[in-house]
Amino acid sequence: MIRFKNVTKRYPGMVRSAVDGLSLEVNQGETCVFVGPSGCGKTTTLKMVNRIFEPTSGEILVNGENILSQDQDTLRQGIGYVIQKTGLFPHYTVFENVATVPRLLGWDHQRINSRVHELLRLVGLDPDENAHKYPRELSGGQSQRVGVARALAADPPVMLMDEPFGAVDPITRTQLQNEFLTLQQKVRKTICFVTHDIDEAIKMGNRIAIMNNGRLVQYDTPEKLLLAPADDFVAEFIGSDRSLKVLSLLPVPKVLKRQFRVVKETAELETVRASFDATERNRLVIEDENSNVVGYVTRGDAGKASSARGWNRFIKPFPTTLPPEATLRDALAVMLQHDVGAIPVMEHTRKFLGMVYLDDIRSYVGEAYQESEPEPAGEGAPS
Amino acid sequence: MRSLRYFVNNTDRILGYAGEHAVLILMAVVMAVLVWVSVGILIRNNRRMARGVLGIASLIMSVPSVALYGILVTIPGLGLSRQSAVLALVLYAMLPIIRNVYVALNGVDAAIMENARGMGMSARRILFRVQLPLATPVILAGVRVSVVMMVGIATLAVFIGERNLGVLIQQGLVRTRSDMIIVGAVLVSAFAIGIDYLFSKLEHLLVSPGIRGEAA
Repeated sequence: MIRFKNVTKRYPGMVRSAVDGLSLEVNQGETCVFVGPSGCGKTTTLKMVNRIFEPTSGEILVNGENILSQDQDTLRQGIGYVIQKTGLFPHYTVFENVATVPRLLGWDHQRINSRVHELLRLVGLDPDENAHKYPRELSGGQSQRVGVARALAADPPVMLMDEPFGAVDPITRTQLQNEFLTLQQKVRKTICFVTHDIDEAIKMGNRIAIMNNGRLVQYDTPEKLLLAPADDFVAEFIGSDRSLKVLSLLPVPKVLKRQFRVVKETAELETVRASFDATERNRLVIEDENSNVVGYVTRGDAGKASSARGWNRFIKPFPTTLPPEATLRDALAVMLQHDVGAIPVMEHTRKFLGMVYLDDIRSYVGEAYQESEPEPAGEGAPS
Repeated sequence: MRSLRYFVNNTDRILGYAGEHAVLILMAVVMAVLVWVSVGILIRNNRRMARGVLGIASLIMSVPSVALYGILVTIPGLGLSRQSAVLALVLYAMLPIIRNVYVALNGVDAAIMENARGMGMSARRILFRVQLPLATPVILAGVRVSVVMMVGIATLAVFIGERNLGVLIQQGLVRTRSDMIIVGAVLVSAFAIGIDYLFSKLEHLLVSPGIRGEAA
């Protein structure tokens, strides 16, 4: 969708190229996050896509078409653009701001009106309450939402976002990030996103392009980046806590033990004992008639029970459970908080899916690192 | 008291002077705004040219007004005429108007300009839809300063044949009639204050509520 082919940008009077021989491809509907220290060329790269800056050499293709062969203004009208300070027009109302590009494209009044209302609702602003406000009456978070709505106005397939959530407080930032991820699920734009915050990059990106001194150092999915940094620079940039960060990218089902004996609470003691005999595990998950989990019994407690149904009083509820969309990071946090080594995963309907074990998390992450470890080069060549 | 009596006894004549004063200033303001705002727009992207134009404007501003009138009447085709008077006032408005237009157009927030370009607005559209609306308060402030100044300088145009409120002051001085001087001075001040008030109303009309009350 967006393709950089050996793109170089050199500013007049500068010794070093701002961007040096960059080649990469952003797939349709994906978010590519450019990240790196200041002066690494990430913003220059972004701004070459809509020709705020023009490449010194190389080609940039959007939708297979070289951007330099298109009319500059037409190209820009087809690319959503969001920048840090929002750049909302202070003399225009929220409505007029969002309507900017549709007006450039000559849409009729009716169409603009319904589109603006639709967009404001999409970014979580009540149109009746906000459409006629001026930017100075908005909070930082609201301004950014209007900025995003304005960029989406003409439904461009491509969006460029330059530190869009950089100027708001941390709580609002997290909120805007989450909202934007939900929004992106719906609109599926091809996005180039610039940030200097690696955590934001990991959270927002399908792929991350780490840049340093104008060069692309690594272009990979967040998981690969965290598990197998290409060099020391990347490893240092993503931080020594990268093994913790990777946990937030791995979903719980990856380590879920699904083979688990489940017994109905109406079962006879015999069934319970038979189930324990058939397994190595020391706990048995108990569910009710409707397959909803009610708790567990331990092997020891099952031994103490005597009557056929009396074992029921040994059923203990789980201190906590996890939804299937939880990450390993959530699982670990809950384990530490409740001082347990295993947590059941259930759907929202309380249907049992399996158990997560601390040991499994440890070995899974350990293996992931070993697999991604680059082969030792040079040494040990067969003699 | 004597001044008031003088005013009451000569109302018709004085109102005639005031009318002449107003006409002269109106002509000068319209011309000054048309010409100098255009020049300000033309030089907005050319720093070297801007420096030159603003230098000339400062130079003109530093010429004493009586001397400027004196110079203008020697120019063939102008002479002792209303053209000379209007031209002098227009020249005095050059610095405040051009400088404010130039500074205001270039003072638009870089983020706003970048976004306007990034959304695909043409340079012309950015000028008329973004830069000029945002620059309006500062441009109006420049026009306001120059008009208030014109009201005072116009009184001196009596030396090249204008018959405005300056007559009262000039005649008062020649005949040592303090009542005439006071009537003239008070009316000229009232005139300036009135125009200042008109401009505050004008600003309310022309400036978007989104930026009203921000710039000086």
